[in-house]
Amino acid sequence: MKPDLLKGSRSRILAGIVLAIATIFVFRLFYLQVIQHNHYVALAQAEQVKRDRLPATRGEIYALNGTAPVKLVLNETVYTVFVDPAVIIEKDNANDVEKAMKDIAGGNVRDNFEDLLEKEDSRYQIIATRVTRTQAEKIKEKDLSGVGFQAVSQRVYPEGQLASQVLGFVNAEGAGNYGLEAYMNKELSGVDGRLETVTDVSDVPLTIGDRNIREPAEDGKNVVMTIDRNIQSKVEQAIADGIKRSGATDASVVVMEPNSGRVMAMANLPTYNPSEYYKVTDAALFNNGTISAPYEPGSDVKTYTMAAAIDTGVAKATDTYYNTDSIRIDDRTITNATKGHTGVISFQTALTWSLNTGFVTLAQRMGNGKEITKTARDTMYEYFHGRLGLGQLTGIELSNEQKGIIISPDEADGNAVRYSNMSFGQGLDATLIQVTSGFTALINGGNYYKPTVIDGYIDEDGVYQQKAASQPSKLAVVKPETSRQIKEMTHVARSSFSGIDKAGYYIGGKTGTSQVIKDGVYADDETIATYLGYGGSDIDHPEYVIMVSIHGDHKILGGSKDAMPIFTDISNWMLDYLKIQPKG
Amino acid sequence: MSQNTNYYVSRRQQNWSRNQNTTRFQSAIKLGPVAHTVLVALMIIVLGLIYVTQATRTTGYDYEAQKIDSQIADYSEQKSELEVENARLTALETVKNSSVAKEMTTPANTQYVQE
Repeated sequence: MKPDLLKGSRSRILAGIVLAIATIFVFRLFYLQVIQHNHYVALAQAEQVKRDRLPATRGEIYALNGTAPVKLVLNETVYTVFVDPAVIIEKDNANDVEKAMKDIAGGNVRDNFEDLLEKEDSRYQIIATRVTRTQAEKIKEKDLSGVGFQAVSQRVYPEGQLASQVLGFVNAEGAGNYGLEAYMNKELSGVDGRLETVTDVSDVPLTIGDRNIREPAEDGKNVVMTIDRNIQSKVEQAIADGIKRSGATDASVVVMEPNSGRVMAMANLPTYNPSEYYKVTDAALFNNGTISAPYEPGSDVKTYTMAAAIDTGVAKATDTYYNTDSIRIDDRTITNATKGHTGVISFQTALTWSLNTGFVTLAQRMGNGKEITKTARDTMYEYFHGRLGLGQLTGIELSNEQKGIIISPDEADGNAVRYSNMSFGQGLDATLIQVTSGFTALINGGNYYKPTVIDGYIDEDGVYQQKAASQPSKLAVVKPETSRQIKEMTHVARSSFSGIDKAGYYIGGKTGTSQVIKDGVYADDETIATYLGYGGSDIDHPEYVIMVSIHGDHKILGGSKDAMPIFTDISNWMLDYLKIQPKG
Repeated sequence: MSQNTNYYVSRRQQNWSRNQNTTRFQSAIKLGPVAHTVLVALMIIVLGLIYVTQATRTTGYDYEAQKIDSQIADYSEQKSELEVENARLTALETVKNSSVAKEMTTPANTQYVQE
């Protein structure tokens, strides 16, 4: 029997109402579940799915200790400790927190601790920074209410400020600034990973769901520098002693291997502590002067002029010229700083006593013998700039390298007067690294190596992967015979200072004293003193090249008096450190 | 006392073919549509429970994995801390200031053996 409700009965009305409500429900559900499906799925995912960045570990930086890599820059996880003042006040445990914090992390606790805890309207007050893991563990053991921890990775420098201007620093945002940290920021940073997963209320990732993504982070490269920490330390000490001795304000040194371009040490004083870079008030301290402060290199460049003259066959060490202590070029008269060696003298004598007239004469001989012609200027430019790299970026793996200025003979300013000045190191700007790199080519047989501070990498398994041996970036920039003569001439020049080197070794060098340009004119009361030289067991085996520069505000410093003692100090130490056997 | 509820139906009664010595089991209990519905519902519930159990078990592994990850991170931090400590202890300044280094003297002369 089919049940039937009477028309108009209350049961029928009720059934109608129920049906209508059910229909509304159906439509509403259809709207929510079908039409609004994507919207609600997105809302649910936003609630349940957590997207996290898996931070890559920044690569560490190593120096060499002889031939073994040692860590110079490491990473350390430290903690920022924060409190919720409201909770602390409510629980009335301010004294407990203060005592625990000061007992465990004394030096890292903020000075105005009490004031911070009194800020009731705030829920987040940092009370200590750079708290170590061990300290954080001890604080956690106290089980204090309202105290939280935030892990932060920071760079650690176990050697203090050693090579700080080579290294650079990493700022609070994790970006490398200056030095190697900036130049290799991308390689050192690595690539962050990605985690996208459903989590529970405690943010624990769960494997349920089909939208979980886990891309592991790719850690940054661990870089091994060519810098030897022992040489670097010695160099920094020698500079500090030199500054003290001369009353100078700043000094720089580069030590290079002549047969590879590897930089063994690179230092400037004053410097800064990279772990406290934020305390530095003078940003100039961050600059590595050896690569970013072009200056007039002065008489060191006389070795370049001599090399160009020998290489082009216009002169040799024993050739002579008539010295009158002055020489006229167009409307200018160029004089010697050291006077009295007048008459017919050799170019060796001119180099030994650093006589400007000798090198202007060489420049003339590269022309027609009487004038510094366009041919002579082109030749000098080719050697200085094209072959030996003055006024060009060397490509060393450090940020903020400056290229300096060397005026081409094709420019209006590249006239005979300028090139006469350039023959003895004035009228051009170059960096220490450029002058040193060019000089290594002059004494290694004639091959130019690009200077480098990268020796290799430590791979994921902790194995040291050394870079392949350096190849010259420019071959035969001077002839081997030219190189030999330059070595002999600089050795003779250095030998005029007797008793400074260890006996039995072959050491050569050239002094330089350059005037400082202030407000466009040469200052009378200020110079930069330099010394550029090499050392080894004999003429055929130079093992190191050292360049020193030292300067003081309103101070007249001399290459032989102020820069050479620093060279000598480092050189004599290097002979022992590198275990070089005397052969002389 | 057990009661045998099975009975056999002859092949002739079933209109089956010759030489087919087959018997058919027939339960005396008849299940109605409601019972069937209940049984299906029960099966769905059981399957659901199995699914929930397995899903929960997987989640349990997640918590374990999380715990292990956390331990790994903790050990990594400890390792880093020890490496930093090691680097500080072997740093040049530390070595220079050590009591052993302070007692060392500079050699007055160095002799080399000719090869």
